[in-house]
Amino acid sequence: MSAVAHREESCPLCGTAFDTEGQGCRPSCPMSRGCSVVCCPSCGYSFPQETGLAAGLRRLLDRLKKDRRGNPT
Amino acid sequence: MTPPHGAAAHEADLDRKQVVAAARAVILIGNPNVGKSVLFGALTGKYVTVSNYPGTTVEVTRGSATIEGHPWHVMDTPGTNNLLPMSEDEQVTRNILLSERGYVALQVCDAKNLRRGLLLSLQLAEGGVPFALALNMADEAASRGIAIDAEQLSRELGVDVVPTVAVQRQGVGMLQARLAHARSSPLRVRYDAAIEEALAVIEPLMPPGGIGPRALAVMALAGDESLRAHLAGHLTEPELGRIDVVRRALAARYPESLRYVIARQRLAAADKLHDAVVTRGGASVTSGLGRKLGTWSTHPLWGIPVLAAVLWAAYQFVGVLGAKTLVDFMENTVFGEWIVPWAERVVRWAVPWDGLERFLVGPVGVARIEHGGFLIGKYGIISMGLAYGVAIVLPIVTTFFIAFSILEDSGYLPRLAVMVNKVFKRMGLNGKAVLPMVLGLGCDTMATMTARIMETRKERVIVTLLLALGVPCSAQLAVILAMTAGLSRAAILWFAGTILLVIFLVGWLAAKVLPGRGSDFLLELPPLRVPQLSNIAVKTLARIEWYLREALPLFIVGTLILWSLDRFGGLAVLERAAAPVVVGLLQLPKEAAAAFILGFLRRDYAAAGLFKHFQPYMQAGTMTWDMEVQVTVALVTITLFIPCIANFFMILKERGWKTGAGMMAFILPFAFAVGAGVNQLMRLFH
Repeated sequence: MSAVAHREESCPLCGTAFDTEGQGCRPSCPMSRGCSVVCCPSCGYSFPQETGLAAGLRRLLDRLKKDRRGNPT
Repeated sequence: MTPPHGAAAHEADLDRKQVVAAARAVILIGNPNVGKSVLFGALTGKYVTVSNYPGTTVEVTRGSATIEGHPWHVMDTPGTNNLLPMSEDEQVTRNILLSERGYVALQVCDAKNLRRGLLLSLQLAEGGVPFALALNMADEAASRGIAIDAEQLSRELGVDVVPTVAVQRQGVGMLQARLAHARSSPLRVRYDAAIEEALAVIEPLMPPGGIGPRALAVMALAGDESLRAHLAGHLTEPELGRIDVVRRALAARYPESLRYVIARQRLAAADKLHDAVVTRGGASVTSGLGRKLGTWSTHPLWGIPVLAAVLWAAYQFVGVLGAKTLVDFMENTVFGEWIVPWAERVVRWAVPWDGLERFLVGPVGVARIEHGGFLIGKYGIISMGLAYGVAIVLPIVTTFFIAFSILEDSGYLPRLAVMVNKVFKRMGLNGKAVLPMVLGLGCDTMATMTARIMETRKERVIVTLLLALGVPCSAQLAVILAMTAGLSRAAILWFAGTILLVIFLVGWLAAKVLPGRGSDFLLELPPLRVPQLSNIAVKTLARIEWYLREALPLFIVGTLILWSLDRFGGLAVLERAAAPVVVGLLQLPKEAAAAFILGFLRRDYAAAGLFKHFQPYMQAGTMTWDMEVQVTVALVTITLFIPCIANFFMILKERGWKTGAGMMAFILPFAFAVGAGVNQLMRLFH
């Protein structure tokens, strides 16, 4: 079972924004269990989804960015 | 499905009659996943009919709506990116536009991906189709800082443009009002002089229909086979012959197919229109310098120095910083001085039984390379499995992932795909094949699966073969890059030249041998931009997490296999059995047999074993030519191996047992044969 989180992603190759439902690694790959790689429906490019630590880092960076915008010094 | 009965059936029949009887018709058209069906629902309410388009399995939905007080027939079409069809869905959409009469089109476009939508707008304009444009998901675009000047776009296109949020029915009322007054766009893409001359000849021959003569002429010039039946039904033989003559003469002027040339010129027009109306975060999406750099990076000539500069920087970063400085620190300091001695001390302190202690960490006073301890030893889980994965491969792949994320975030990767498109065309592949190849740098297994995007079986088989044969995934490429950092320029050239030559030759031969036809390539280029530090950090971390989850368990399994083989004498038997090939043919040390066993699990694990073997000489700068030949031969052979066991199973699953087994039967002896050839040639020409 692929570990892809259902949300919207933007393809880093062609820029297409897409829904990740059904775009994860298929069970035919023996490594698909726990795999967070998603595939762009438009160009076929695949990339690991930002989950776990990466998602935490993204949230932190976004919060810092927001704070900085809120308190311009 | 149960047919409707009674009142419901009667209601459905009435609705169908209403749909057919409506005086005006609107056809919804748009790229896939732009919210077309939601907008269709918002326009029509609940009474709809779904039927297959004649002669296909493609479903078309029809309904009715009241717009400005009048009944309208509404038809939803399958998502399409192009009126020059590349799939059955796209062909159905084009045929609907072609065969219907007196309709207006409602183009639904994802405001977040406007460039893609504009490509379709330009084709509707070219076809003289009256239409209005819905910029759907306008809220999501705004939340991403994408601002579209709808009024300016409306002026440029000469049709009404309405921002909508279909799921909230925002803008639907205004859209209905504008639909009643939809008009054709006066905007026309101006192609180069040769194409315009050809169009001037064949446009007057085109039959009348739902799509105007200029768009039909462009389709005919592009060699749209699906249009042939329509033209044959309306034109005389001499007229069809005239079109073929003009088309052949025009095609002879370009190295690429006319479909590709036309698509490229149309894309340039869409880019110009896009940049005129879109701003991102208050600034124009593409600066002057960014645009110039973007143009250079796809140029057949100027693209080469750009690529060389990119590769040089990646090599310095990965090969020098990652493979030398960071690996040295991780291996000798972190593992050599801290983790391994600490783990050994903990085991000796915690395990009370002498026999178990010796089993886990070997006898006291014997160097770990000399004994077969389970955790600490020559093939120990910690001293080999973890040390290879974390101390050798991890620093290398981390630096590589940083470099890769920079390339990805900057928008350079798709440009690279465009540049190498020509090379791939000579191999019988189109640029669309480049995408799985570029993707192969991420994960070969996934790339094998996405070879499905290739249109013909021929392309899918070639791409799968090339991926398995010559394209290392990012982790594997990183270790290979690191290995080359210890080689002389001559040895690097031998390695890179051999791999490129093999990919080119096998692809070319496969294209000659396998039946089927090639197809064209169209890739939308996102703007070239300065990569953001936060994006690079997050993307790199996501890749490291993926790598650790996917590769590390295989490293442990591989170490266990080696440890078991060593423990029960199997490794010596295997080394002896492989000696005629490994030692005799490839002239490698007999220990390299273990690397090839690991290579079947993962190529990077095998490369890490070689790295470890030659690392002292590389760091001391005492590599002899004989050693360089050995490293090059081993790298060539391992690179041509199957990428990993997961990829092997994916090939069997995707291409079937017969094709999969055929590929394996070809790849294994081929990898050894090329390795042997390189060995002989390098020694001969030195």
